[in-house]
This record gives sequence, C-alpha cells and structure tokens, in this order.
Amino acid sequence: MAINPMEQFAVKPLIPLHLGGYDVSFTNQAMWMCIVVGAISIFMAIATAKRSLVPTRMQSMAEISYEFVANMIGTAAGEDGLVFFPFVFTLFLFVLLSNFLGLLPGSFTVTSQIAVTFTLAAFVIAMVIVTGFIKHGFGFLKLFVPHAPWYLLILLIPIEFISFLTRPISLSVRLFANMLAGHTLLKVFASFVIGLGSAGILLKPLAVAPFFLIVAITGLELLVAGLQAYVFAILTCIYLNEALHLHDHH
Amino acid sequence: MSTRMAAPEPKDLRELGDRLDALQKQHADRTKAPPPTSMGIAFRFSTEMVAALVVGGGMGWAIDWITDRWSPIHTKPWGLIVFFVLGAAAGILNVIRAARELNAKMANGGN
Repeated sequence: MAINPMEQFAVKPLIPLHLGGYDVSFTNQAMWMCIVVGAISIFMAIATAKRSLVPTRMQSMAEISYEFVANMIGTAAGEDGLVFFPFVFTLFLFVLLSNFLGLLPGSFTVTSQIAVTFTLAAFVIAMVIVTGFIKHGFGFLKLFVPHAPWYLLILLIPIEFISFLTRPISLSVRLFANMLAGHTLLKVFASFVIGLGSAGILLKPLAVAPFFLIVAITGLELLVAGLQAYVFAILTCIYLNEALHLHDHH
Repeated sequence: MSTRMAAPEPKDLRELGDRLDALQKQHADRTKAPPPTSMGIAFRFSTEMVAALVVGGGMGWAIDWITDRWSPIHTKPWGLIVFFVLGAAAGILNVIRAARELNAKMANGGN
C-alpha cells in the first residue's frame, strides 16, 4: 500500500529496452499515452462509422466536440485559423482524455509529467514561429516591437522577447501543476481515510469526513480536467492568431 | 403558438424562426466558455509571473556562464542582474495582459 502521495507520479519501466546507451524502455507513461490515443481513435472511428443524418449518441458527442473546437478556433484565431483545426483538435482531445483517464483509480496521469506538457507546449510554440515566418517573413519579428519611442525600445524589445519565451513555460507549467496538485490532494485525503479508519474505535467514525471531501474534490478535479484542456487549446489558438495576424498588444 | 394543422402562415413561420434564434443563442451562451474559477485565475497569474522570472533569470545566468567561459569579456554577475529585472518586467507585463484579457472576457461574457 503506497502511502507516499507522490508515488503515483513515478515513471516505471514495463518493458526494459536500451538502444545505443539510451534508456528507451516502454514505461507506464508510454502505455497510458498509447491508451489515450487508442481510446480517442476508437471513439472517433465508432462515432463516425454510421454517418447518419440523425446522429446517434456517440456521433453527436463527436459532433459536439468538433463544433466546440471549430467555434473556439473561429472566435480566437479567425476563419483562416481553421487550417489548424486538426492540430488544435488533436491537442485538445489528447489533453482532455489524458486528464479524464488520469482520474480513474489506479491509472497514470500523462499530463502530470512536465516532460509531456512541455513537449506539447514547445510543439505549439514551434508551430507559431514557423507559421509566423511563413506568413510574414521577417516581418514576424515586428511582434517584438511595440509602438514606442526608440529610446524605450531598447528596454521594451528584450522585455517583449522574454515575454514571448515565457509562453511555452507558463503553458506547460499551468497544465502540469494543476494535474499534479489535484492528484496529490486526492491521495493525501485518501490516506487520511485509511489512517483514521484503521485507528482506534473513537477515531474511526471521523474517517467519514475526509471521505466526503474526496467525493467533492473528485468533482472539482473533473472540472479542472476539462478546464485545463480548454485553456491549453484556447491559448494555442490565441498564439496562432498572433502569428497569423500580428496583432500588436495595446 | 397555434396548433392548427393547416398550411403554416408566414406569421407562424416567423415566430418559429424567432424561437429557433433565441434557442440557438441560449445554446451558444451555454457552450461558450466555462467561467474561470478564482483558483484558476490565481494560478494563471502566478504561473505567468514565475515563468517570466525563470526565463529572464535563466537567460541572464546563461549569458554569464557563456561569457565566463568563451569570451574575453566577463559579464558576471551583470547578465543575471539585468535579465532578472527584465524578466520581472516581462512577468508584470504578462500578468497585466492576462488580467486585461480576463476583464474583456468578463465584460462581454456577462459575469
């Protein structure tokens, strides 16, 4: 019985594998990523198999998620942002399902690893930079030049540059820290239930209190899981919007 | 709303159109965006600030480290000092932007 609340985040190799001096073992982390991707693929395949005019329950779930993401991109990045629909939709579903599946007891939360969230965020920023340079050439660098007198620009350009570089970090840290904090909290309260339940006869009834708290926190965690996936996707859209339209901040 | 089974009159159709519009608007309002929780807002601001400090400090430290090793001019400790301050400024800028964004969302989303 693991009482350590951080134990659940440990990455353990399931199939040890070493290639050219690198540890490329198939870990529980990799397994859960495969499960997430597999679950999304199976869900989408089943939901869109019939393609009926009057959607079944599965199909309307797929349609709702499609419309939700399409609306989000339309409002946050404009109509021409819709070319990024596959990218944002994939990101959104992956983060959403990772968060949700991580809430299952005994499962592993892929998004509670900074390595995973930072890779996703770095990918988003790489996409933004490439899009910006393709669309505007070196004019994309105007993103770092606000409207100000030249003597202030000496100070403002480095600030804007640092501000741009913080994006992948704040994007990844927000998701990872939310997941980490929520799951640690759940585990801590769960260990209270076990601890009080196995204590003396007088303390035993008190175990009910943390139990109800866990139920409430699990509900909150469901909200956080959805919200964080939404935030990740909408910030991706906002950054892509800047790369596409070079809106300067006011 | 009439319950006649005769051919629909233009007035009925218009009524139906209005009702559909109202429903659609309601639906759009409901699916627009989940309202940010207070904890979410606090989290957002703090990560913006901390990330900027980390990036600024890290850049300054890297510059010092590089010039200390491979350049005749040693910037130590000025790179760290200057870039940490710039990072703090960038962090404040980020937080102000996030707050402004949030205000705009609250204003047109209608609390």
